[in-house]
Amino acid sequence: MIQRDAYAVVGVGYTPQGRVPGRTSQSFHVEACVNAINDAGLTKKDIDGLICYRHFPRSGDEPDVTPYRVAEQLGISPAYMSQDAN
Amino acid sequence: MGALESGECRYVMLSYGHSALSSDGMLRMLGEFEVEDMVFGHFGAAAAYALAARRAMHVYRTGPGTWQHIAIGQRRWANLNPRAMMYDRPMSAEEYFNARWHVEPFRSPDNCLITDGGRACIITTAERARDLRHRPALVMGMGHDHPARSVYRTLDFTGGTGAKKAGEKALAMAGITLGDIDACEIYDCFTYTVELTLQDYGFFGPGEGEDWFRDGATEPGGRMPVNTSGGLLSEAYFMGLTPFTEAVMQLMGRCGERQLGPATRTKDPEIILCSDNGGIFQSHACYILRRP
Repeated sequence: MIQRDAYAVVGVGYTPQGRVPGRTSQSFHVEACVNAINDAGLTKKDIDGLICYRHFPRSGDEPDVTPYRVAEQLGISPAYMSQDAN
Repeated sequence: MGALESGECRYVMLSYGHSALSSDGMLRMLGEFEVEDMVFGHFGAAAAYALAARRAMHVYRTGPGTWQHIAIGQRRWANLNPRAMMYDRPMSAEEYFNARWHVEPFRSPDNCLITDGGRACIITTAERARDLRHRPALVMGMGHDHPARSVYRTLDFTGGTGAKKAGEKALAMAGITLGDIDACEIYDCFTYTVELTLQDYGFFGPGEGEDWFRDGATEPGGRMPVNTSGGLLSEAYFMGLTPFTEAVMQLMGRCGERQLGPATRTKDPEIILCSDNGGIFQSHACYILRRP
Protein backbone atom coordinates (compact mmCIF):
# COMPACT_ATOMS: atom_id res chain seq x y z
CA MET A 1 0.00 0.00 0.00
CA ILE A 2 1.44 3.35 -1.04
CA GLN A 3 1.45 5.69 1.94
CA ARG A 4 0.54 9.37 1.84
CA ASP A 5 3.55 11.69 1.42
CA ALA A 6 5.99 8.79 1.02
CA TYR A 7 7.06 9.69 -2.52
CA ALA A 8 7.97 12.90 -4.26
CA VAL A 9 8.66 14.43 -7.65
CA VAL A 10 12.10 15.99 -7.63
CA GLY A 11 12.90 17.18 -11.13
CA VAL A 12 11.27 18.16 -14.41
CA GLY A 13 12.80 18.09 -17.90
CA TYR A 14 11.60 20.28 -20.78
CA THR A 15 12.60 20.35 -24.45
CA PRO A 16 11.98 22.83 -27.24
CA GLN A 17 8.28 22.50 -28.02
CA GLY A 18 5.79 23.58 -30.65
CA ARG A 19 6.79 23.02 -34.26
CA VAL A 20 10.28 21.57 -34.07
CA PRO A 21 10.94 19.86 -37.40
CA GLY A 22 13.74 17.44 -38.16
CA ARG A 23 13.59 15.69 -34.79
CA THR A 24 12.64 12.13 -33.92
CA SER A 25 10.28 11.25 -31.09
CA GLN A 26 13.14 9.35 -29.48
CA SER A 27 15.33 12.44 -29.46
CA PHE A 28 12.66 14.32 -27.48
CA HIS A 29 12.48 11.49 -24.94
CA VAL A 30 16.24 11.54 -24.50
CA GLU A 31 16.52 15.32 -24.23
CA ALA A 32 13.64 15.55 -21.73
CA CYS A 33 15.24 12.80 -19.62
CA VAL A 34 18.70 14.41 -19.61
CA ASN A 35 17.14 17.72 -18.58
CA ALA A 36 15.09 16.08 -15.81
CA ILE A 37 18.21 14.35 -14.43
CA ASN A 38 20.15 17.63 -14.43
CA ASP A 39 17.19 19.50 -12.98
CA ALA A 40 17.01 17.12 -10.03
CA GLY A 41 20.75 17.40 -9.47
CA LEU A 42 21.23 13.69 -10.12
CA THR A 43 23.46 11.78 -12.53
CA LYS A 44 22.26 9.19 -14.99
CA LYS A 45 23.78 6.46 -12.80
CA ASP A 46 21.11 7.25 -10.20
CA ILE A 47 18.22 6.40 -12.55
CA ASP A 48 17.16 2.79 -12.10
CA GLY A 49 13.56 2.98 -13.31
CA LEU A 50 12.28 4.23 -16.68
CA ILE A 51 8.65 4.50 -17.70
CA CYS A 52 7.91 5.78 -21.20
CA TYR A 53 4.49 7.26 -21.75
CA ARG A 54 2.46 5.56 -24.43
CA HIS A 55 3.57 3.61 -27.44
CA PHE A 56 2.73 5.54 -30.60
CA PRO A 57 2.73 3.98 -34.03
CA ARG A 58 6.12 4.47 -35.63
CA SER A 59 6.08 7.37 -38.05
CA GLY A 60 8.01 7.96 -41.29
CA ASP A 61 11.60 6.86 -41.11
CA GLU A 62 11.84 7.20 -37.33
CA PRO A 63 12.82 4.33 -35.08
CA ASP A 64 10.05 2.77 -33.01
CA VAL A 65 10.33 4.31 -29.53
CA THR A 66 10.60 1.78 -26.73
CA PRO A 67 12.04 2.16 -23.22
CA TYR A 68 14.91 -0.10 -24.34
CA ARG A 69 15.95 2.36 -27.00
CA VAL A 70 15.57 5.39 -24.73
CA ALA A 71 17.65 3.68 -22.02
CA GLU A 72 20.27 2.69 -24.58
CA GLN A 73 20.54 6.24 -25.87
CA LEU A 74 20.80 7.60 -22.34
CA GLY A 75 23.43 5.00 -21.47
CA ILE A 76 21.53 3.62 -18.49
CA SER A 77 20.56 0.08 -17.48
CA PRO A 78 17.41 0.37 -15.36
CA ALA A 79 16.24 -2.33 -12.98
CA TYR A 80 12.67 -1.58 -14.03
CA MET A 81 11.26 -0.43 -17.36
CA SER A 82 7.77 -0.15 -18.75
CA GLN A 83 5.72 1.59 -21.39
CA ASP A 84 2.44 2.87 -20.07
CA ALA A 85 -0.55 3.12 -22.35
CA ASN A 86 -3.36 5.47 -21.58
CA MET B 1 5.72 3.95 -7.28
CA GLY B 2 5.39 0.22 -6.85
CA ALA B 3 8.97 -0.08 -8.11
CA LEU B 4 10.09 2.38 -5.43
CA GLU B 5 7.94 0.74 -2.75
CA SER B 6 9.43 -2.68 -3.44
CA GLY B 7 12.91 -1.22 -3.11
CA GLU B 8 13.78 -2.29 -6.62
CA CYS B 9 14.26 1.32 -7.71
CA ARG B 10 15.58 4.49 -6.10
CA TYR B 11 14.83 7.01 -8.82
CA VAL B 12 12.14 6.39 -11.44
CA MET B 13 12.01 8.57 -14.53
CA LEU B 14 8.77 9.16 -16.46
CA SER B 15 9.29 10.24 -20.04
CA TYR B 16 7.25 11.43 -23.01
CA GLY B 17 8.44 12.45 -26.46
CA HIS B 18 6.71 12.79 -29.80
CA SER B 19 7.37 14.45 -33.14
CA ALA B 20 3.60 14.72 -33.37
CA LEU B 21 3.29 17.96 -35.34
CA SER B 22 6.07 17.43 -37.88
CA SER B 23 5.48 13.74 -38.54
CA ASP B 24 2.41 11.63 -39.20
CA GLY B 25 2.75 9.86 -35.82
CA MET B 26 -0.23 11.45 -34.06
CA LEU B 27 -2.49 10.98 -37.07
CA ARG B 28 -1.52 7.32 -37.18
CA MET B 29 -2.36 7.00 -33.49
CA LEU B 30 -5.71 8.76 -33.93
CA GLY B 31 -6.34 6.52 -36.92
CA GLU B 32 -6.31 3.56 -34.54
CA PHE B 33 -9.65 4.82 -33.25
CA GLU B 34 -11.28 4.49 -36.64
CA VAL B 35 -11.43 0.99 -38.15
CA GLU B 36 -15.11 0.00 -38.64
CA ASP B 37 -16.45 3.31 -37.25
CA MET B 38 -15.76 5.07 -40.51
CA VAL B 39 -18.71 3.51 -42.28
CA PHE B 40 -20.91 5.34 -39.75
CA GLY B 41 -19.17 8.61 -40.52
CA HIS B 42 -17.21 8.55 -37.30
CA PHE B 43 -13.57 9.63 -37.62
CA GLY B 44 -11.13 9.77 -34.76
CA ALA B 45 -11.09 10.75 -31.11
CA ALA B 46 -12.56 14.23 -31.67
CA ALA B 47 -15.72 12.68 -33.09
CA ALA B 48 -16.10 10.39 -30.07
CA TYR B 49 -15.61 13.19 -27.55
CA ALA B 50 -17.98 15.36 -29.62
CA LEU B 51 -20.58 12.60 -29.41
CA ALA B 52 -20.17 12.54 -25.63
CA ALA B 53 -20.37 16.31 -25.39
CA ARG B 54 -23.48 16.44 -27.59
CA ARG B 55 -25.19 13.88 -25.38
CA ALA B 56 -24.26 15.92 -22.31
CA MET B 57 -25.88 18.99 -23.93
CA HIS B 58 -29.04 16.93 -24.19
CA VAL B 59 -29.13 15.76 -20.57
CA TYR B 60 -28.00 18.90 -18.74
CA ARG B 61 -27.04 22.49 -19.29
CA THR B 62 -23.69 22.58 -21.04
CA GLY B 63 -22.23 23.53 -24.39
CA PRO B 64 -20.09 26.26 -25.89
CA GLY B 65 -21.45 28.72 -23.31
CA THR B 66 -19.66 26.70 -20.64
CA TRP B 67 -16.64 25.65 -22.67
CA GLN B 68 -15.73 29.18 -23.73
CA HIS B 69 -14.73 29.89 -20.12
CA ILE B 70 -12.39 26.87 -20.15
CA ALA B 71 -10.79 27.64 -23.53
CA ILE B 72 -10.38 31.36 -22.80
CA GLY B 73 -9.26 30.82 -19.20
CA GLN B 74 -6.52 28.43 -20.23
CA ARG B 75 -5.47 30.75 -23.03
CA ARG B 76 -4.99 33.52 -20.47
CA TRP B 77 -2.64 31.24 -18.51
CA ALA B 78 -0.78 30.38 -21.73
CA ASN B 79 -0.33 34.08 -22.40
CA LEU B 80 1.80 34.14 -19.22
CA ASN B 81 3.88 31.10 -20.22
CA PRO B 82 6.65 31.74 -22.78
CA ARG B 83 6.90 27.99 -23.50
CA ALA B 84 3.24 27.76 -24.49
CA MET B 85 2.40 27.34 -28.16
CA MET B 86 -0.34 29.97 -27.71
CA TYR B 87 1.83 32.37 -25.64
CA ASP B 88 1.46 35.28 -28.02
CA ARG B 89 -2.07 34.51 -29.19
CA PRO B 90 -4.70 35.94 -26.86
CA MET B 91 -8.30 34.86 -27.48
CA SER B 92 -11.51 36.80 -26.81
CA ALA B 93 -15.00 35.34 -26.45
CA GLU B 94 -15.80 36.71 -29.90
CA GLU B 95 -12.80 34.90 -31.38
CA TYR B 96 -13.84 31.71 -29.62
CA PHE B 97 -17.36 31.83 -31.06
CA ASN B 98 -16.07 32.79 -34.52
CA ALA B 99 -13.60 29.90 -34.66
CA ARG B 100 -14.31 27.20 -37.20
CA TRP B 101 -16.03 23.99 -36.22
CA HIS B 102 -13.68 21.09 -35.69
CA VAL B 103 -16.35 18.48 -35.00
CA GLU B 104 -19.60 20.01 -33.81
CA PRO B 105 -20.21 20.96 -31.01
CA PHE B 106 -16.44 21.56 -30.71
CA ARG B 107 -14.80 24.56 -32.31
CA SER B 108 -11.05 24.48 -32.91
CA PRO B 109 -10.21 26.12 -29.52
CA ASP B 110 -12.09 23.26 -27.79
CA ASN B 111 -9.43 20.86 -29.09
CA CYS B 112 -5.99 20.16 -27.71
CA LEU B 113 -2.86 21.04 -29.63
CA ILE B 114 -0.54 18.73 -31.51
CA THR B 115 3.04 19.31 -30.41
CA ASP B 116 6.60 18.34 -31.23
CA GLY B 117 8.56 17.97 -28.02
CA GLY B 118 9.01 15.99 -24.85
CA ARG B 119 8.66 16.15 -21.08
CA ALA B 120 10.08 14.06 -18.26
CA CYS B 121 10.09 13.97 -14.48
CA ILE B 122 11.75 11.97 -11.72
CA ILE B 123 10.08 10.36 -8.72
CA THR B 124 11.81 9.08 -5.60
CA THR B 125 11.14 8.62 -1.89
CA ALA B 126 10.30 11.65 0.22
CA GLU B 127 13.36 10.84 2.30
CA ARG B 128 15.79 10.98 -0.64
CA ALA B 129 13.98 14.04 -1.98
CA ARG B 130 15.01 16.05 1.08
CA ASP B 131 18.67 16.07 0.00
CA LEU B 132 18.07 17.19 -3.58
CA ARG B 133 18.18 20.56 -5.28
CA HIS B 134 14.54 21.60 -5.36
CA ARG B 135 11.76 21.66 -2.83
CA PRO B 136 9.96 18.45 -3.82
CA ALA B 137 6.29 17.90 -4.65
CA LEU B 138 4.97 15.16 -2.37
CA VAL B 139 2.45 12.61 -3.62
CA MET B 140 -0.29 13.09 -1.08
CA GLY B 141 -2.96 10.97 -2.71
CA MET B 142 -3.65 8.99 -5.83
CA GLY B 143 -6.50 7.03 -7.31
CA HIS B 144 -7.08 5.16 -10.54
CA ASP B 145 -10.25 3.87 -12.13
CA HIS B 146 -10.63 2.41 -15.58
CA PRO B 147 -14.25 1.79 -16.61
CA ALA B 148 -12.81 0.55 -19.92
CA ARG B 149 -16.21 0.70 -21.65
CA SER B 150 -16.21 2.08 -25.16
CA VAL B 151 -18.24 5.13 -26.06
CA TYR B 152 -20.72 2.88 -27.90
CA ARG B 153 -21.55 0.75 -24.89
CA THR B 154 -22.07 3.23 -22.10
CA LEU B 155 -23.58 6.58 -21.18
CA ASP B 156 -20.90 7.21 -18.53
CA PHE B 157 -19.51 9.93 -20.71
CA THR B 158 -22.08 12.43 -19.43
CA GLY B 159 -21.09 11.80 -15.82
CA GLY B 160 -19.82 8.94 -13.72
CA THR B 161 -16.55 8.47 -15.61
CA GLY B 162 -13.44 6.98 -14.00
CA ALA B 163 -12.85 10.43 -12.51
CA LYS B 164 -15.55 9.80 -9.92
CA LYS B 165 -13.99 6.80 -8.19
CA ALA B 166 -10.40 7.82 -8.89
CA GLY B 167 -11.05 11.23 -7.34
CA GLU B 168 -12.73 9.71 -4.27
CA LYS B 169 -9.79 7.34 -3.76
CA ALA B 170 -7.19 10.09 -4.13
CA LEU B 171 -9.01 12.41 -1.70
CA ALA B 172 -9.43 9.57 0.82
CA MET B 173 -5.74 8.68 0.65
CA ALA B 174 -4.77 12.33 1.04
CA GLY B 175 -7.25 12.73 3.92
CA ILE B 176 -8.60 15.98 2.52
CA THR B 177 -11.73 17.36 0.87
CA LEU B 178 -12.13 19.39 -2.32
CA GLY B 179 -12.15 22.54 -0.20
CA ASP B 180 -8.46 21.97 0.57
CA ILE B 181 -7.42 22.05 -3.10
CA ASP B 182 -5.71 25.28 -4.20
CA ALA B 183 -5.53 24.63 -7.96
CA CYS B 184 -6.21 21.91 -10.53
CA GLU B 185 -4.17 20.65 -13.47
CA ILE B 186 -6.67 18.63 -15.50
CA TYR B 187 -6.07 16.47 -18.56
CA ASP B 188 -7.80 18.54 -21.24
CA CYS B 189 -7.89 16.80 -24.60
CA PHE B 190 -11.10 18.81 -25.11
CA THR B 191 -12.76 21.60 -23.12
CA TYR B 192 -15.62 19.27 -22.26
CA THR B 193 -13.14 16.84 -20.67
CA VAL B 194 -12.21 19.54 -18.15
CA GLU B 195 -15.86 20.25 -17.32
CA LEU B 196 -16.77 16.59 -16.90
CA THR B 197 -13.65 15.73 -14.89
CA LEU B 198 -14.22 18.56 -12.41
CA GLN B 199 -17.94 17.69 -12.28
CA ASP B 200 -17.18 14.04 -11.54
CA TYR B 201 -14.69 15.07 -8.84
CA GLY B 202 -17.62 16.90 -7.25
CA PHE B 203 -16.64 20.55 -7.67
CA PHE B 204 -20.15 21.21 -9.04
CA GLY B 205 -23.27 19.30 -10.01
CA PRO B 206 -24.30 18.28 -13.54
CA GLY B 207 -25.07 21.37 -15.57
CA GLU B 208 -23.74 23.77 -12.93
CA GLY B 209 -20.44 24.18 -14.77
CA GLU B 210 -21.46 27.25 -16.70
CA ASP B 211 -22.01 29.16 -13.45
CA TRP B 212 -18.99 27.62 -11.74
CA PHE B 213 -16.58 28.65 -14.52
CA ARG B 214 -18.11 32.11 -14.95
CA ASP B 215 -16.33 35.38 -14.12
CA GLY B 216 -12.81 34.06 -14.62
CA ALA B 217 -13.02 31.53 -11.77
CA THR B 218 -10.28 29.37 -13.28
CA GLU B 219 -8.17 32.16 -14.81
CA PRO B 220 -5.31 34.22 -13.36
CA GLY B 221 -6.84 35.98 -10.36
CA GLY B 222 -9.59 33.37 -10.09
CA ARG B 223 -10.73 31.40 -7.06
CA MET B 224 -9.77 27.98 -8.50
CA PRO B 225 -6.97 28.18 -11.06
CA VAL B 226 -7.20 25.41 -13.66
CA ASN B 227 -4.47 24.40 -16.13
CA THR B 228 -2.01 27.13 -15.28
CA SER B 229 0.48 26.38 -18.07
CA GLY B 230 -2.27 26.74 -20.69
CA GLY B 231 -2.72 22.96 -20.61
CA LEU B 232 -3.08 20.69 -23.61
CA LEU B 233 -5.43 23.26 -25.16
CA SER B 234 -2.98 26.16 -25.16
CA GLU B 235 0.47 25.08 -23.91
CA ALA B 236 1.55 21.76 -25.44
CA TYR B 237 0.34 18.19 -25.78
CA PHE B 238 2.41 15.81 -23.67
CA MET B 239 -0.54 13.72 -22.46
CA GLY B 240 -0.75 13.49 -18.66
CA LEU B 241 2.71 14.94 -18.24
CA THR B 242 1.55 18.42 -19.28
CA PRO B 243 -0.76 18.75 -16.24
CA PHE B 244 1.37 16.65 -13.87
CA THR B 245 4.67 18.48 -14.41
CA GLU B 246 2.90 21.85 -14.21
CA ALA B 247 1.56 20.93 -10.77
CA VAL B 248 5.10 19.99 -9.72
CA MET B 249 6.62 23.23 -11.03
CA GLN B 250 3.89 25.33 -9.36
CA LEU B 251 4.48 23.62 -6.01
CA MET B 252 8.24 24.12 -6.43
CA GLY B 253 7.52 27.83 -7.05
CA ARG B 254 9.31 27.88 -10.41
CA CYS B 255 6.62 29.22 -12.75
CA GLY B 256 7.69 32.85 -13.23
CA GLU B 257 4.96 35.13 -14.49
CA ARG B 258 2.27 32.45 -14.20
CA GLN B 259 3.30 31.40 -10.69
CA LEU B 260 0.32 30.86 -8.40
CA GLY B 261 0.34 33.23 -5.43
CA PRO B 262 0.72 37.01 -5.36
CA ALA B 263 2.12 37.13 -8.95
CA THR B 264 -1.25 35.98 -10.32
CA ARG B 265 -3.51 37.18 -7.49
CA THR B 266 -4.29 33.60 -6.51
CA LYS B 267 -3.83 31.51 -3.39
CA ASP B 268 -0.28 30.42 -2.63
CA PRO B 269 -0.47 26.75 -3.69
CA GLU B 270 -0.03 24.10 -1.04
CA ILE B 271 -2.13 21.36 -2.60
CA ILE B 272 -2.76 20.79 -6.32
CA LEU B 273 -4.98 18.12 -7.86
CA CYS B 274 -4.04 16.63 -11.26
CA SER B 275 -5.75 14.26 -13.65
CA ASP B 276 -4.99 12.07 -16.61
CA ASN B 277 -7.60 10.35 -18.76
CA GLY B 278 -7.23 7.85 -21.55
CA GLY B 279 -9.21 6.58 -24.50
CA ILE B 280 -12.69 8.11 -24.60
CA PHE B 281 -13.09 8.44 -20.82
CA GLN B 282 -12.04 4.77 -20.54
CA SER B 283 -9.22 5.22 -18.03
CA HIS B 284 -8.56 7.79 -15.35
CA ALA B 285 -5.80 8.71 -12.91
CA CYS B 286 -6.06 11.34 -10.17
CA TYR B 287 -3.00 12.58 -8.28
CA ILE B 288 -2.92 15.04 -5.42
CA LEU B 289 0.44 16.71 -4.86
CA ARG B 290 1.50 18.99 -2.03
CA ARG B 291 4.28 21.18 -0.83
CA PRO B 292 6.33 19.67 2.04
